[in-house]
Amino acid sequence: MTPKPEIRKAARLPLAFIPPGQEVRLAGFGDEIDPLQREQLTAYGLAESRPLKVLQQRPMTVILADEVELALEHAVARHIWVEKDLGEVPA
Amino acid sequence: MTATTAPNTAILLVGHPNVGKSVLFHRLTGAYVNVSNYPGTTVEVTRASARFDREAVLLDTPGVLALPSRSDDERATMRALLNEETRCLVQVGDAKNLRRTLTLTALLAELGVPMVLALNMHDEAAARGVTVDIPALAEELGIPVLATVATGGEGIGELTRSLGQARRPGALLHYDADSEADIARVDEAIGRLAPHPHLAARGLAILYLGGDAEVAAWLEAQAGGKFPEIKALRQAASHRTANKVSAVLARERSEAADTLATSVIQRAARSSPLLAQRVGQYVVHPLWGIPILLGVLYVVYEFVGVFGATTLVGLMEKDLFEGILNPAFTDFVTAAVDVPWIVELLVGQYGLWTMGMTYALALILPIVTTFFFAFGVLEDSGYLPRLSVIANRLFALIGLNGRAVLPMVLGLGCVTMATLTTRILHSPRERMITILLLALAIPCSAQLGVVLGMLGSVSFTAVLIWTLAMVGVLLLVGFLASRLIPGRRIPLVTELPPMRMPILGNVLKKTAGRLKWYLVEVIPLFLLGTFIMFVLDKTGALPGIIKVGEPLVTGWLGLPPEASAAFVMGFLRRDFGATGLFAMAHALSPIQAVVGMITITLFIPCFASLMMMVKEQGVKIALAMVAVIVPFAFLIGGLFNLLLHAVWS
Repeated sequence: MTPKPEIRKAARLPLAFIPPGQEVRLAGFGDEIDPLQREQLTAYGLAESRPLKVLQQRPMTVILADEVELALEHAVARHIWVEKDLGEVPA
Repeated sequence: MTATTAPNTAILLVGHPNVGKSVLFHRLTGAYVNVSNYPGTTVEVTRASARFDREAVLLDTPGVLALPSRSDDERATMRALLNEETRCLVQVGDAKNLRRTLTLTALLAELGVPMVLALNMHDEAAARGVTVDIPALAEELGIPVLATVATGGEGIGELTRSLGQARRPGALLHYDADSEADIARVDEAIGRLAPHPHLAARGLAILYLGGDAEVAAWLEAQAGGKFPEIKALRQAASHRTANKVSAVLARERSEAADTLATSVIQRAARSSPLLAQRVGQYVVHPLWGIPILLGVLYVVYEFVGVFGATTLVGLMEKDLFEGILNPAFTDFVTAAVDVPWIVELLVGQYGLWTMGMTYALALILPIVTTFFFAFGVLEDSGYLPRLSVIANRLFALIGLNGRAVLPMVLGLGCVTMATLTTRILHSPRERMITILLLALAIPCSAQLGVVLGMLGSVSFTAVLIWTLAMVGVLLLVGFLASRLIPGRRIPLVTELPPMRMPILGNVLKKTAGRLKWYLVEVIPLFLLGTFIMFVLDKTGALPGIIKVGEPLVTGWLGLPPEASAAFVMGFLRRDFGATGLFAMAHALSPIQAVVGMITITLFIPCFASLMMMVKEQGVKIALAMVAVIVPFAFLIGGLFNLLLHAVWS
């Protein structure tokens, strides 16, 4: 059986820092996001390893997760950690 | 899995916000509930008999972002689940977002109630290249699954037929071993101490462990003195894990939904975003968002303020009422009735017809009709939730977030409806501030039309001063309230539904429904108000009130003494009072017109919205708000009188 190719990942960055147009994966929520808001984000479909696309950063962060557009204030987007896929690790 | 054999009871429509439950409800019952393209349109449960089975009752529940319930609308849905004798649940889901739909299915499936899943907005999913393998999903869930497009009526027949085949779904997941052990302990305790007549104890256990306050209250009421035993089990579960139990359970449901969704979905690669998506992005664009907003406001102003309040009101008031109906009705009454006071009651200065009906039908009806139509178009286009993104920074100044823009804009239609809609806000603090601002500085459509009609005929400057006064008061009072009312501001996280071309039929239906509601509420109050004015006039009390109010109205506000009558009328409805000022517009100077409109706009809202404030905030807080609003309105009106005389004479 061929082993699954390993995906190289970049450092974790706050979602608020990602330029519009880029696709990233959700890495986790910071402790600054309170439990209720965390539940709300999970309910919107934001979960670890899920891909999302940043559509714009001003006046708010707007992302596309699956087919849902979400607008997040920077106070929230700053504490959502994401990572960019850098492609497969060369054999 | 068991086939449904339940007796004739309720069918509940349940699902996420803005997935089309209310359109489906209308299709299945014929009853119209307000339908819009933004989350939170339904804040209370609505019921009606089903078209396909007159003995079945359908319930349209408010959208739930997630269960266990947290917000007011989620709690309303949870109460319906707990208290209705449910024959079956129809989960309405968004076909283009199956993962999220199935996350909710994973919880509903545990309740042990027969279910059908309607995957709505199938057309939008297809347009985005999303295809769901419906038969495979139905097999996995063990319940009927149907593709529907509620707005176009597609799949409704199949849905109706499938209700007879509703099944209790199998569980979508087994939680981790520790969680399962916790669930089993609470499940057993509920089954023993507080069994539910039709919901499974396991489902209630999951909801209770997840922190659902409605389920907790129901269990406490059922178990009575034994409830601490159930409560102790939840405490033990929360001590066991470092993570919050509700978060662990929600994450595992989400993972299970993800796995199932991945296995039944196919996505076609799409080269470019849809036109609707591009339009949606321009609307909240940092550069284009504001010019688009100004353009929208200009079009609404032209349609409501110019076409409605000037052209249509001119046709109705001058040509129809003053030219034809009022003289004819006056001649008829004078000829037919011998008693002079009855003649005067009907067609005199404060006549039920010449004042009450003329105000309601000739002055207000054209304005609210155009406003409700324009508002319906905006609602259905999906523009309003995007407005919350543009307005967020401004609302942050007053301790709110952009979500509050929805009740505020709705308030421009009807403050009473908007006060109810504050339930979509997440904290009691946000609701209190928003209700105060709605009562104080947001004019309803009738009043807005009167203001635009009256000040528009004075000058654009007059409209601008009034607008700046309202925005200034809104920001000032909001700023002070946000500092005085304890609690913290919640940052905005909101879904932006797709931009859609409004459907004329839905906009017209909605306009007609609102007009009906408006006329039923307004005409009796306008007639009552006119009757009170007539009695006050005839008993000599009105001149007395005008005399008592003279220092305030004539001295401080600089208005003619007769304007006191408008403020008396304003106690019943602000727009009735504003219409009173509108009717005496010819006797007012530009400054008097502006001061009069500023004061009456800030005045207490109508009786119906006062009752809604009491319902939502309690008697004490509602009365405290009124006690602040009335003197504040006169204070600001007087200050503008002084200021405008200083700079505008």
